[in-house]
Parts: sequence; structure tokens; C-alpha cells
Amino acid sequence: MLDVGRHPNIELMAYTEVEKVEGEAGDFRVTVRRKARYVDEDKCTGCGACAEKCPTIVPDAFNQGLGTRKAIYSWFAQGIPSTHTIDPDHCRQLNGKKCGICKKTCQADAINFEQEDRIIEVGVGAIIAATGYDVFDPSKIPEYRYREIPNVVTAIEFERLLSASGPTGGHLHRPSDLAVEAEIDALEKKARKSEKALKRFEEKYGESSSEFFEKYERGEYQDDDRKKWADKFKEHLGTVKPLETLKRKAEGFTVAKRLAFIQCVGSRDFRFYPFCSGYCCMHSVKEAIIAHEHEPETTSTIFGMDIRAVGKGFEEYKIRGGNQSGISYVRARVAEITEGENHNPIVTYEDTRERVVKSVEFDMVILATACAPGKEAPELARILGVELNEFGFFKTDRAQPLDTTRPGIFTCGCAHSPMDIPESVAQASGAAARAAQVLIESQMREAS
Amino acid sequence: MSKDILVIGGGIAGIQASLDLAEMGFHVKLVERLPSIGGKMAQLDKTFPTNDCAI
Ligand SMILES: Cc1cc2nc3c(=O)[nH]c(=O)nc-3n(C[C@H](O)[C@H](O)[C@H](O)COP(=O)(O)OP(=O)(O)OC[C@H]3O[C@@H](n4cnc5c(N)ncnc54)[C@H](O)[C@@H]3O)c2cc1C
Ligand code: SF4
Ligand code: SF4
Repeated sequence: MLDVGRHPNIELMAYTEVEKVEGEAGDFRVTVRRKARYVDEDKCTGCGACAEKCPTIVPDAFNQGLGTRKAIYSWFAQGIPSTHTIDPDHCRQLNGKKCGICKKTCQADAINFEQEDRIIEVGVGAIIAATGYDVFDPSKIPEYRYREIPNVVTAIEFERLLSASGPTGGHLHRPSDLAVEAEIDALEKKARKSEKALKRFEEKYGESSSEFFEKYERGEYQDDDRKKWADKFKEHLGTVKPLETLKRKAEGFTVAKRLAFIQCVGSRDFRFYPFCSGYCCMHSVKEAIIAHEHEPETTSTIFGMDIRAVGKGFEEYKIRGGNQSGISYVRARVAEITEGENHNPIVTYEDTRERVVKSVEFDMVILATACAPGKEAPELARILGVELNEFGFFKTDRAQPLDTTRPGIFTCGCAHSPMDIPESVAQASGAAARAAQVLIESQMREAS
Repeated sequence: MSKDILVIGGGIAGIQASLDLAEMGFHVKLVERLPSIGGKMAQLDKTFPTNDCAI
């Protein structure tokens, strides 16, 4: 990834969208919109001092909303380019309020609230659409109760929980527990604030708030200032009491150890996508192996119609997971997930070997969601003047699998169809060769 | 005639296509709609079947 940022032949335009494509193979004119970051790309050093000081906290999309970031942010720590970006939906200054803290903090003078989108026209001979896929939204399957049961998560959310650079530092804390901890943090902040206010009264009147409050309750004081003090003290108690309860509850929290993975969520399902997404069986095996590496007591059950380990070294990987990483494979299609005690998800399924319906409780359930076509693919297809297939991936032909329906425009990776990383890389090299061919052919035509 | 090529999408597929073309001597413009490139792969902890780090 670093090489892309450094290669002299690559001009990287991030935070940019394609708006118009005219011309033909060998000679396209493309209009792009370079969206305003409100941060000067040439000046920003990526130091992050601005983000540290920014007071506005926003759910972090890179961490699938499991963590938070600031209104000025980098997409992720090692991101390229490392230029920070101001989120115009949340920044106070850009929404008419007073702030500008980041501008004052930035040593490189990179913040510019006046920055505007720039429209640029570029001439290119060929185009490759490598716009990838979207994670299928499992809330379309109501019986799995994603979003209703906090400890039912998608596989991509689980990746972030496993990651050492993720919101939990790689510890498998359950979302229900994380929610309690976030509440504790918020209450502690509130308690610190009210403590400060109480302290001011205590210094002024030379007695502790609790002593004062006893007398106040007996009716010894009537003045307005002391009434304010009493109100503050009541408010403080209203914060501290639930805080204590939550803290006691949090003492009992442990990491998730009984995991269930549910395969084909949205894939091989005629209600959604009839195709197999190809990579999800393998990422469930992977996630179960890594969870076991983090915490050796972890056991995982992978529920699937079958485990599709089709690829170099995949079957061996699957078997190794079963032998060494506490994974059991259960042949079943899960009918329903319900919520048990302590926010534990309960998985109900038909065991097709024993022919009985079973319900088993887990600490966490991970949904292996389908590789869905990009939501914005139709718009891009319209701009590019190419067709999509019946699912919404770029339409290609069997004989020319990387050519879209418009000459000079190619596709690769999950924009083409569901595939894993090695396949995406191989296709990308193929698409690069096809694009090079167009340029070389038109060069030769011009020369002759 | 332009010697440039446009790659739309900075996930692993777009990155690989850009690098290949750049190595062949073509000028590449790589457009990514998010603030940084990397796509889904950047969000992955490790990758199967070798469990190498994703980035
Ligand atoms: C949970 C999970 C775990 C996985 N684990 C593995 C694994 O271990 N090993 C493995 O081989 N595979 C794994 N995969 C599959 C892997 O994610 C894909 O194979 C790979 O990311 C496909 O790369 P891509 O570049 O085609 O698409 P993407 O990664 O989706 O990248 C597309 C890029 O294009 C950008 N883009 C989209 N639309 C536009 C537009 N209109 N204009 C400009 N830019 C745009 C996007 O922002 C994105 O950066 C996993 C998938 C999931 C869901
Ligand atoms: S102006 Fe304030 S809210 Fe906006 S990004 Fe800067 S520090 Fe954050
Ligand atoms: S890879 Fe596995 S989980 Fe994904 S759709 Fe195919 S069979 Fe289902």
C-alpha cells in the first residue's frame, strides 16, 4: 500500500469521486470531484495533534461504529494518504458554531475552513473499475436479530474486535459489555464535573457537601445560593449511585469464549443472493483460529450447509482449525437467534444428522455476511456507460471476463464478482494487462 | 491519445492494478472515494490461509 503513495507513476487522488466520462477507448475525458477535506494535503503531516484536541466525538466507521473518532480524523492510523479530513456533518465550525480548536493546534497551518471541492478533468486511455463490494446488511433477516441482540455481530465487526489496533485492542469484549463500559465512562465524566462544582461551594462555605446537605434537609438554610448547592448535590448522587451499580456489574465481565459462526447469511439464499460468496467459510475459520490464539479457552461452532474450502491450502487450514483451535463444524441452517440471560445469544437450528431441533447458548454470534454488490455501483455504471449483471456486479462476458460492456473499460476484484484477496490480485493483474493493451494498440494505430 | 490510465477504487484490486501499470511505465490516476486507500483489506486483522497481517 505504501508503494502506491510513493510510486512516481501513480497519482493518488483519495477523497475523490468520478462525475463524468466522455470519449472512447484510447481517449476518455473524465471529470472528477476532489472533495474538500478542509485540510491542505500538501501541508498536513498526519501528526494527529488536531484530532487529539478536537472536542467532537463521532462513531468510527472504519471500526464499524464499535469505537469513536473525532470530527477531524484520519481514516485509520496507517492510512495512505495520512492527510486528516474534517467531517463536515459533525464539525462545529462547519455547522455555524464557534470552535476552530484544530486550526489553533495545527503547527503546519494545514486547516482551511474555506476549502472547496475542486472539479478536475483528466485524459486517460483506459479505465479500470475496482470499486469492490458492500457487506450484506443482516438486519434484512429479522430472525437473526442483528442490532436487536447486541452480541450478534457481523464478521467484519468481529475483525475489528480481533485487531490489536481495533477498539478493544484485540480483546474479545462483548458489545453488550462495551456499551456498559461506555456508560460508565460517560457517568464518570459527569461525576467529575459535578464534583468540581460541589468543591467550589465547599470552599466558599467551609463544610463538606454531605454535612451541608443534612443541615439543608433539616431546613437550616433558605438562601438561593445554598439551594443551588443542594440541587447540585442531588444531581451528583443521581450520577454516582447508578455508576456504582454499573461498576459492580462490570467486575463480572469476561471476554467472549463460546463463539458461534453462522454461514451463508444472505448468500445461497433465494430471498437475497443465490450465489456463494466464496470467501466467508474461510474467514469464519480464520476468525475462529485467531480468537483461539488470543484466548486458548475459546471454542467455536461453525454452522453451515457445508464448508467451502476451495483454494490452495484451504482444506488443510480448515482441518487444522478443527484439530488445534477448538472448532467444531455443524451441518445446519440456523433458523433463529434469540436473546437469553446476560445478553447471551441462543442459536436454534435443526441438526440434520440427528434430525432434531436444538437450541444452544453462546457468548457471541458472528454472521458470515454475503458479498453484496456496491450500493453505488448503479450510479457509477451510469457514469461509465456500462451495464451491471442481474445482481449488480459489473457485467462481463465469459470469453473476455475482465471487459465491461464498453470498450476500454475493465473491471476486477469484488466489483466483478465475489472473490478473495489472491483472486482479486490475480484479476487486477489481468485487468492491468488488458488496459495496457488498449493503450499500446492505439499508440500503434497512431504510429502507422 | 493519452498514456494515462484511470483506476477507480483503492482496495486491494485497484492497488494491484495501479502498481502493475505503473511498473509497466504507464501513468496511473488512482481515485478512491474514502479519505485513504486500502478498502476492506485494511479492516481485516489477518488474512487466510496464512494468517499474515492484512496491511
Ligand atoms: C469479514 C471478512 C473477512 C475477510 N477475510 C479475508 C481473508 O482473510 N483473506 C482473503 O483473501 N479475503 C478475505 N475477505 C475478502 C476480501 O475482503 C476481498 O477479497 C477484497 O477486499 C476485495 O478487494 P477489492 O479491492 O475488490 O474490494 P474492496 O476492498 O471493497 O475495495 C474497493 C475500494 O473501492 C472504493 N470505492 C467504491 N466505490 C467507489 C467509487 N464510486 N469511487 C471511488 N472509489 C470507490 C472503496 O472505498 C474501496 O476502497 C474477507 C471479507 C470479509 C467481509
Ligand atoms: S473546528 Fe472544532 S469540531 Fe471542527 S474539526 Fe476542528 S476541533 Fe473539531
Ligand atoms: S463461502 Fe461459505 S458462507 Fe460464504 S456463501 Fe459460500 S458457502 Fe456460504
